[in-house]
Amino acid sequence: MTQAQISQEDILAVLPTVAATIADALGCDLEDVKPDASLIDDLDAESIDFLDMVFRLERAFKVKIPRGKIVENARGTLTEAAFEQNGLVTDVGLAQLRSYLSEVPPERFKTPTKVKDIPRLFTTETFCKLVVAAQRETKAAG
Amino acid sequence: MDDHFAAFSFVDRIVEYDAGRRARGRYAVPADLAAFPPCLVAEAVGQLAAWVAMAQVGFRGRPVAALANETRFRSGVAPGSTLDLAVDIESCDEHAVAYAGRASVDGTHVIELVDCLGPMLPVEEFDSPAELAARFELICGAGAPAGRFRGVEAPRVVRTAGVPGVSASATLFVPESAPFFGDHFPRRPVFPATLLLDSQIGLAMGVAAEATHWRTGTKPAPSRMTHVKMRSFMPPGAAVDIDAELVPSGPEGATLRLAARMDGKTAATARLEVIAKAARP
Repeated sequence: MTQAQISQEDILAVLPTVAATIADALGCDLEDVKPDASLIDDLDAESIDFLDMVFRLERAFKVKIPRGKIVENARGTLTEAAFEQNGLVTDVGLAQLRSYLSEVPPERFKTPTKVKDIPRLFTTETFCKLVVAAQRETKAAG
Repeated sequence: MDDHFAAFSFVDRIVEYDAGRRARGRYAVPADLAAFPPCLVAEAVGQLAAWVAMAQVGFRGRPVAALANETRFRSGVAPGSTLDLAVDIESCDEHAVAYAGRASVDGTHVIELVDCLGPMLPVEEFDSPAELAARFELICGAGAPAGRFRGVEAPRVVRTAGVPGVSASATLFVPESAPFFGDHFPRRPVFPATLLLDSQIGLAMGVAAEATHWRTGTKPAPSRMTHVKMRSFMPPGAAVDIDAELVPSGPEGATLRLAARMDGKTAATARLEVIAKAARP
């Protein structure tokens, strides 16, 4: 996901459908699905819900979103060893994570950050970015 | 009798197979059963998809029931019928299998599954990879002997609360032992999601039958199930609290919101749509 190239306009274009899809998947009120809502901490999403949301978003936007790779993508070009050590995100990894998840309020990044807790950072806007990136990949693939 | 590949297996033979993409199979419903509920028909379709998925990943992973966005109930299946099963695999890798499928009897669709997804888990946690591979070879070839399924005893469900025609709560007691645990799964017995759904449909239809908004001369019947999401495995001996809440949608239909909770946590959710059908005189 190359957020630097994803504009707020891009995000706003997909936000209504992404929010409605998340609300449907989680069975919550649409008004609760705010752009900066943490899917886990604010909306009680579990791992199966992430699978569900990705599955529904693929259908809604007719794109492919690689499953099981959201956290892997957060690593960017860093090697696994550079990104994490003993289950904790390294300083370099945390900087990469902050850049990758630029939509997440800074105070939500803990020090140290456990790798298994990275999904806690994901927000509605994170999924908007995933969709925009997937749309671009689909378009590029022709 | 060994319960493996017998007590809860519903694909006798795979008659067409396009690796990782689609398959067609058959299952002969034993004629001496008292009934063969729609949830077991859905199970048969899901099992065909599971065979394709397991073969695709070299029997290193197996999908487990997780998401079924829509299941359309067309008609019942009588014991003695032969199910023609078909699945189309949308995607399959080491993470998950996404598929759609259907079952027909004598050319008539009896059930359709749309937008289903099962996460793949390590197969050795549940079963013997070698035995699964051998079974797959058998059902892709001559086929397995039919008629080994002896039926499933309905779990004990005790209604605990509710408002007639509006809602119902009950506790489902997963048996400590049952033949199907020897097949589902040999190394890790799990109460089949389809049996949970069968009990939930039973509770829901009880609520729907009590409702008074139906047009005279009609009675409710299941139409489709949506938003099925399984969150937890249910082990032998588990006590599962199940709820059904009816939301009328006019004199012709209603939606029932279904939930299952175990140890205070939501274990499964689904919605059942029912429609009014002319009551038989």
